[in-house]
Amino acid sequence: MSDPVLEIPEGWEQRAPEGWEWQTLWVAVEEGDHGYTAERVQQAIDAGIDPRVILDDGLFPGFNLQGDRFSAQIIFIPEMLITARAMKAGLALIRPLLAAAAEKPLGTFVMGTVLGDMHDIGQSIVTIMLENAGFNVINLGTDVHPDRFIEAAAAEKADLVGFSALLSTTVYYQKVTIEEFQKAGHRDKVHILIGGAPTSQEWADECGADGWGRDAMEAVKLARRLVTEQRASWD
Amino acid sequence: MTDTVELRIDGEDGREHSVTVARGTTILDAAHGAGVEIMATCGARGRCRSCRVKLVDGAVPPPSVQDTVQLGPEAVRERFRLACQTKLIEDTRVRPAPPKSESGYQILGGKAVTAAMALDSGVEKQPIVVQPPKSEHHQTSDLEEVLNALGTSVTTREVVPDLVRDLAAKLRERKGQLTATLFRGRLVDIEVGDTSGQVYGMAFDIGTTSVVGSLLDLRTGEELAAVGTINPQAPFGADLMSRIAFAQFKPKNLQLLRGKALNALNDLIKEACAKADVSAAHIYKIVVVGNTCMHHILLGIDVSYLGLAPYAPVIRDAQTIPAADLPLKAAPRAHVCTLPILAGFVGADALACVLSTRIYDSEEIRVMVDIGTNGEMVIGSRERLVACSAPAGPAFEGAQIRHGMRGALGAIERIAIDDDVHCSVIGGEAAVGICGSGLIEACARMSEAGVINASGALTRNVEALPPAVGRRLVKGEHGPEFVLVWGAESGKGEDITLTQGDIRQLQLAKSAIFSGVAMLQKEMGVAPDEIAELLLCGGFGNYVDVASAVHIRLLPEMPVERITYFGNAALMGAQMALLSEAEWRRADDLLNRIEHVALAARPDFQDLFIAGMSFGAPGRAGAAAEKVAVAI
Repeated sequence: MSDPVLEIPEGWEQRAPEGWEWQTLWVAVEEGDHGYTAERVQQAIDAGIDPRVILDDGLFPGFNLQGDRFSAQIIFIPEMLITARAMKAGLALIRPLLAAAAEKPLGTFVMGTVLGDMHDIGQSIVTIMLENAGFNVINLGTDVHPDRFIEAAAAEKADLVGFSALLSTTVYYQKVTIEEFQKAGHRDKVHILIGGAPTSQEWADECGADGWGRDAMEAVKLARRLVTEQRASWD
Repeated sequence: MTDTVELRIDGEDGREHSVTVARGTTILDAAHGAGVEIMATCGARGRCRSCRVKLVDGAVPPPSVQDTVQLGPEAVRERFRLACQTKLIEDTRVRPAPPKSESGYQILGGKAVTAAMALDSGVEKQPIVVQPPKSEHHQTSDLEEVLNALGTSVTTREVVPDLVRDLAAKLRERKGQLTATLFRGRLVDIEVGDTSGQVYGMAFDIGTTSVVGSLLDLRTGEELAAVGTINPQAPFGADLMSRIAFAQFKPKNLQLLRGKALNALNDLIKEACAKADVSAAHIYKIVVVGNTCMHHILLGIDVSYLGLAPYAPVIRDAQTIPAADLPLKAAPRAHVCTLPILAGFVGADALACVLSTRIYDSEEIRVMVDIGTNGEMVIGSRERLVACSAPAGPAFEGAQIRHGMRGALGAIERIAIDDDVHCSVIGGEAAVGICGSGLIEACARMSEAGVINASGALTRNVEALPPAVGRRLVKGEHGPEFVLVWGAESGKGEDITLTQGDIRQLQLAKSAIFSGVAMLQKEMGVAPDEIAELLLCGGFGNYVDVASAVHIRLLPEMPVERITYFGNAALMGAQMALLSEAEWRRADDLLNRIEHVALAARPDFQDLFIAGMSFGAPGRAGAAAEKVAVAI
């Protein structure tokens, strides 16, 4: 496995004003400097750069680099979290602009840790990463009853639902929650993703989930793929 | 390692005596070999305190229950030990304690022994001579005659039917010569002849991975045999949570686990009795401690909801149960006593640790840490006690580590890095893996040498390392790895490496302990330098290099001399509850005194947990963890 490298967006110069540079923002996101990230993003907005361009050319390169490093275990939870939070600081500024430009979120994702499980860190990382990737995420927190998942999925017209479980004693409730979706007649309306340390692709298959993310980055990629396939099938 | 050790003794005349003896020799025997007379009034049986010595130099071994009983916790903390009980494991210098005006020795339970424990196991054997009823007019019975002979020591005249079924024959076999056994004032056994010298008990600590037991003479407090085994439940789940998951909503599996535990205890009773040459029929009291899950499984209590938030135990109070109900094979009407449980993950073992470390009676703030799959921690003093648990997972036992293994032959246990890496291996053989304490030491040395940075990442800056060290950074199948032992020298035929993933596992495990202690400090409002002493309990604590543990931020940053290895505090607490009813009852009082902090429910714990993952050395990446605490 080779080290992840910074992927510089092709032709970014054409999409930015004369003399503009993104380098410092890429590094700021990589290093998790949320103050400077917000400052740089505000400058880009003030310079009249398209918010979509700020997102793709300014914020994503550093974020994706860290995400890939996280998947490769080169960086760990603390560094991933500070990068995610820097990203969030930048996104907070451009999200209203994206909404005003009628940019639709990629999809709506209802997220939570299953009944009986209080673990929060894993699912909150996935939540931030999904938000950063352009999803509208409803985070139900920890120890979430199957009924609450179903209610939220119905109320928010969710495209995807994610169940996190960090204990060998609670993965059982990933299966139970999926069964409850089935009983409530909601199973076919959503994609169901599962994750957490004791889970695996085999377990995902066994409990009838649509997908399993080894880590936060994989979960985001999977979510993106599922909604794209869904869009394609609607056309 | 050599097989001999040197003992130096500060003589009363100011001269120093020295003797070289085989490792494992007791200080008493070694001293006698050197011609230094240390008084051992009880015959070197750990029953008096005449042979106490202060360990001036060298490692201080964990105190035995005898040490604590005879000398009291204060003296034990001040490095006093019984010379007859303490075995030499490395070069040591001792100073015999000055003879006190206490006429040589003090039998167990003497009031003069500061804070030492009175022997009061609740079991009492009394030889009696009973006249069988003689006249038909005489309105009496065999049992009444027995009870009358016992007089006031009987507080209840109720007995179970099977105790008296064969009483008539026993009473008449040897002219009414009997030995009656009472437990808490109730008649529990009647034997023919005088067996009053044979009063034994067993103490057990059932851990997730191992079970240890100790056979004690209830009259003297003397340990007659120490036994232990791997927990036979282990194949059904290595850690606590997978054990619970196995039994969750599956009553048959619960019964299976219960059977395994009972078999293990019964085998250990048999083994201990064989070792000490005593009969299990003379074991009248058995004290069992263990984490909540082990405790519940042993009693056959459903653990399904123990694995689900809010992880509530089914029962908490101390119990006294007829051994035959479990069944444990001891005296026919022996009793099993359990210690109370504080919470789902702070079990009877933690209560036992509090009991034996006596931090409840400490004037200064002390911390007790039991490092295990499920770490249990208690902070406090006589003013206030706070406990928590943190799941460290099985990394310290070598599980989930690529080349991880238990601390057995062939495991790397010590590591040095200079211009290359040097490993020392248990048993001196070729390395086949690395054990938990080796893992801690490896990370400490690698962090010092710059092989890993403060965030735990293997360095990319290979040029900065000595060439022979730099060459050990290789690309493995799943990313970077560091070679500890090259394949040519290993006993496995392949490189023994630490992968980046292994280091991540260790970071999660050590942060669980580190942030757990940090949370307790926060709760109590004490800085690390305000902790008078940190007591490491449990088997693992024995092998950990304390300085390395502080370096990688497994233990709080405090002077290493304030960190003491206390030994198997849980078993010791069980032994104390076995020997003393007052101690057993004290555990119940403690239950109401100790506050429990549920870490999972505390949002501020997450910040500490994340911040605790770094190795903390300065550097750009090391600052990440600190930044998180601000950003969250």
